[in-house]
Amino acid sequence: MASHRVGEPAALSDSGAPHHHHHHIPYAVPYMLHHPTNSNFINQEGPAFDFGELEEAIILQGVKINNDDKKQHLYTAIRPAATLDMFPSWPMRFHQHTTRGSSKSGEESTDSGSAVNTLSNTPESPSDHRQPPPPPPQMDAAGGIDSPRMSGSQSQPPAKPAPEKTLRRLAQNREAARKSRLRKKAYVQQLESSRIRLAQLEQDLQRARSQGLFLGGGGAASGSISSGGAIFDMEYSRWLDDDHRHISELRTALQAHLSDGDLRVIVDGYIAHYDEVFSLKGAAAKSDVFHLITGMWTTPAERCFLWMGGFRPSDLIKMLIPQLDPLTEQQFMGICSLQHSSQQAEEALSQGLDQLQQSLVDTIANGSVNDSMHHMAIALGKLANLEGFVRQADNLRQQTLHQLHRLLTIRQAARCFLVIGEYYGRLRALSSLWASRPRESMIAEDNSCQTTSDLQMVQASQNQFSNF
Amino acid sequence: MHYQTGSGSCKVPLKRSVATDPMERIERMAAAHAVVIFSDSTCCMCHTAKRLFCSLGVSPVIYEIDQDPRGEDLSKALLRLHGGAAPVPTVFIGGRLVGAIDSVMASHINGSLVPLLKEAGALWL
Repeated sequence: MASHRVGEPAALSDSGAPHHHHHHIPYAVPYMLHHPTNSNFINQEGPAFDFGELEEAIILQGVKINNDDKKQHLYTAIRPAATLDMFPSWPMRFHQHTTRGSSKSGEESTDSGSAVNTLSNTPESPSDHRQPPPPPPQMDAAGGIDSPRMSGSQSQPPAKPAPEKTLRRLAQNREAARKSRLRKKAYVQQLESSRIRLAQLEQDLQRARSQGLFLGGGGAASGSISSGGAIFDMEYSRWLDDDHRHISELRTALQAHLSDGDLRVIVDGYIAHYDEVFSLKGAAAKSDVFHLITGMWTTPAERCFLWMGGFRPSDLIKMLIPQLDPLTEQQFMGICSLQHSSQQAEEALSQGLDQLQQSLVDTIANGSVNDSMHHMAIALGKLANLEGFVRQADNLRQQTLHQLHRLLTIRQAARCFLVIGEYYGRLRALSSLWASRPRESMIAEDNSCQTTSDLQMVQASQNQFSNF
Repeated sequence: MHYQTGSGSCKVPLKRSVATDPMERIERMAAAHAVVIFSDSTCCMCHTAKRLFCSLGVSPVIYEIDQDPRGEDLSKALLRLHGGAAPVPTVFIGGRLVGAIDSVMASHINGSLVPLLKEAGALWL
């Protein structure tokens, strides 16, 4: 069958200048070549296409892939290997009908047979990949259809059969690689848009500063974020960069087995780094407590587990206990006691906040038409207490970290803070991964490949974290 | 007699003294019981303080200064005493000033609150 579909290596050289074929349509779908008007339906919604056979044919022929990044590929969604010189035996006239060359090979998975590695360096564009692959190009039917046409061209020796399993695996690898690239692309785009947003925030900040808005303590700039919130976001973003640096330093220091004295300096530095964020949050609470308490400054995954504008200290300790092994009996008791105390304090604060909410609800609900402004004024006064709660919650977080520092040896403390830093780093990374996860419409077929690609993605981001 | 109300704690008559310095009044009230909280009945952070002590198994004595005729003087004096953000809640244990809510929380986290309570006789084991 292959012989009906696929061109010949011999024919390649025979044709004299296979390289010139770049500018023409791939032979990938011979049927299409004869029906250029049908090229439209390539770009329409079509059924999923199994490239298995196609790729098998390619591999069999060991065709060298050309790159062509000049023309919009008619069959962009076709997997890369299927490019131009696949059917070199096709007479030129068929190529002339088609206007677009294979281009979007992207970085081909090198896992596929070496002969079919693409040389294309065209970056894949998402739109190309969102185009569904063309419908099965009647490859089987082509056997019958094509042969009359083929008869006029160079004769083709029969293809050598390759092991089914290998070909299927190669095809799956290709698919997995494609999906991985898609996800990477989405992730990078998200990063890009975050970068742009950051630039916008900095611009807002400049504007707000020049107008002295932030001095008024809460005059909201135009847009969804107040100047107080914008300022905090910027400072927090810098704090995150610092955090990353501190974590690396901690990791290096632990691996290098520095002396306790040196470690102490680094650990003290990390504590001070956290003190700094609490100080920043304190200032932000004065200007925009809602920004803090609703967690708009955090990533979605962190926001999901937010407690009173930040992390819940008892949850952090719960996470830490197994990571801090080995602990002395006394240390273990101390940390359990810390967890318990923190829980009591958190509970008391939560109850206080509940009472505030209840009181606010009563005030707003009971305002009559006549004295609604009066009630609003009272409600505003009550709202002001929110700041106190966020501050006390941050105070609790700060005290908890300090107490951990006191309970542990310097080496344990270094490991403890490394764990904390990496934990939140992963939580933040989780948010990004979640945002860029493939949606249903992007998955063409073969869900079995998906898990592998997901793992690859997660592992890629995990590589920056040490093991605990 | 003027009774102070408190949440879940005992009611205490507030003696109306003549021209007593608010600071002296505070000291006298604080010394009278093991755990004393100066509070405001409308203040939610005071509710937090009360809940915390109750969760520890302590029954604090609570003075609601908004219900005291000379509550304002008391309020100013309390603020001077610990220099915090708000006059209430202010906590005394065993007659000694612990401070505002942040000091109480810090003391609980670093493990010093419970021994203090035991020492003052507010807690047994």
